[in-house]
Amino acid sequence: MDGLISFFASHHAIRAEAVLKRNGLAAQLIPGPKDLSPNCGVALRFNYAIREEALALLAAKNVRIDGVHFYRPRTDNWNLFQAERR
Amino acid sequence: MPMIYFDNAATSWPKPPAVRAALDEYFGEAGGNPGRSGHRMSVAAARIVENAREVLAALFNASDPSRILFTHNATHALNLALYGLLRPGDHVLTTSMEHNSVMRPLRHLEGLGVEVTVIACTPDGRVDLEAVRRAIRRETRLLVTTHASNVAGRLNPVGDLAALAREAKIAHLVDAAQTAGSVPIDVRETGVDLLAFTGHKGLLGPTGTGGLYIRDGLTLAPLLRGGTGSDSAHETQPEFLPDAHESGTLNLAGIAGLGAAVRFLLEIGIEAVRAREQNLVAQFLAGASDISGITLYGPKDAALQCGLVSFNVGGAVPSEVGLILDESFGIMARTGLHCAPSAHRTLGTFPTGTVRFSFGWFNTPAEVEKALEALRQIAVWAAREAAVSHQEAVKTWTA
Repeated sequence: MDGLISFFASHHAIRAEAVLKRNGLAAQLIPGPKDLSPNCGVALRFNYAIREEALALLAAKNVRIDGVHFYRPRTDNWNLFQAERR
Repeated sequence: MPMIYFDNAATSWPKPPAVRAALDEYFGEAGGNPGRSGHRMSVAAARIVENAREVLAALFNASDPSRILFTHNATHALNLALYGLLRPGDHVLTTSMEHNSVMRPLRHLEGLGVEVTVIACTPDGRVDLEAVRRAIRRETRLLVTTHASNVAGRLNPVGDLAALAREAKIAHLVDAAQTAGSVPIDVRETGVDLLAFTGHKGLLGPTGTGGLYIRDGLTLAPLLRGGTGSDSAHETQPEFLPDAHESGTLNLAGIAGLGAAVRFLLEIGIEAVRAREQNLVAQFLAGASDISGITLYGPKDAALQCGLVSFNVGGAVPSEVGLILDESFGIMARTGLHCAPSAHRTLGTFPTGTVRFSFGWFNTPAEVEKALEALRQIAVWAAREAAVSHQEAVKTWTA
């Protein structure tokens, strides 16, 4: 997943995850990267390509979001790093 | 993968089996409303509440159980103390290590005409007693200090601060959110005037419970007014304790659990809890100081801090460390800003924050060793990533 949605409060993050998953879209809650948004403890990873569909679904359910980011975190390299060390 | 829970400063987990049993008993056997009706279920519920009040009074060595008021959490207790005591024109002193549960009410009271002075602490979170003494003036009504910082863990010298306040004839409010149940507190020996605590952290009880101890002779204006089950012929709030500050039905199930939790702790002894947590902190500090790339914050001395540690891994931001700890090692930590922006500014960790491990009675040295091994691997990864890659992140849409 190469997109991230940040929120003002976990209330909205948890609801957003449910909305996307209910509509068959991939979504994963992660610790909110402070460098992207200082507002909330959790953020939601999703596929950046479907951002317009995702935003429309969230807006329809009154889920408030802080921002949408193109996001490829370095932590994705962690599993490669561990595999190399084995 | 076994779970390792290192977020006891947010809420303790697991709770003792006796707490779960007490909740079950309350829901199945003694679910009346105390003081409202005189029937046996009402009396049974009243006994649960008064028993919890008694064991809390014993825990803090309060002179009289009626000086312990139940609240929903430490934030509620702190608000009750601050709004119950401070009036426009008053001056209040606090430190730069306080949590937002103190800072936000104080900033609001500032808007209502209360003067607020924040004493700057050292970069390792220490408050200078002389600076506090110098800041006291004629209008000073209250000194508010945390017992231990939720970010850096440093324990404040509560006895010295209380003595200083007593000498200046001002009240001293202590925020014991991080220490009640895990660090001994004696309100009579220290001379603390007001002690705010939560039930769901070190006290090992359910969320939605907490309380405020008020010294004999000190009076607060109520934060809430309403039915208390007492003095029912009158439309004015009762002035006696604890009813003056306990309007509306209490969190009875939560208090049943809290009472059982405190009895569990009194049986173990708070000194034993403190010793266990201090050993885990010492083990972590010794191991982490040998890992290249780890920066520790706070006193870095287990004797000077409560059961929590704050750190960063060079080349990584706290949320990256938290994600790997959770997903690859099953270790649950808190990352980022811990609701205390002023404390982070003091420590030099604003706005990125820190990774925080907070230990509890049920944690073990083996878990700390596993966490240290995880951090050794993460530190190597982070140093390499910092050299070869950067995080790709572009904000493309803003609310």
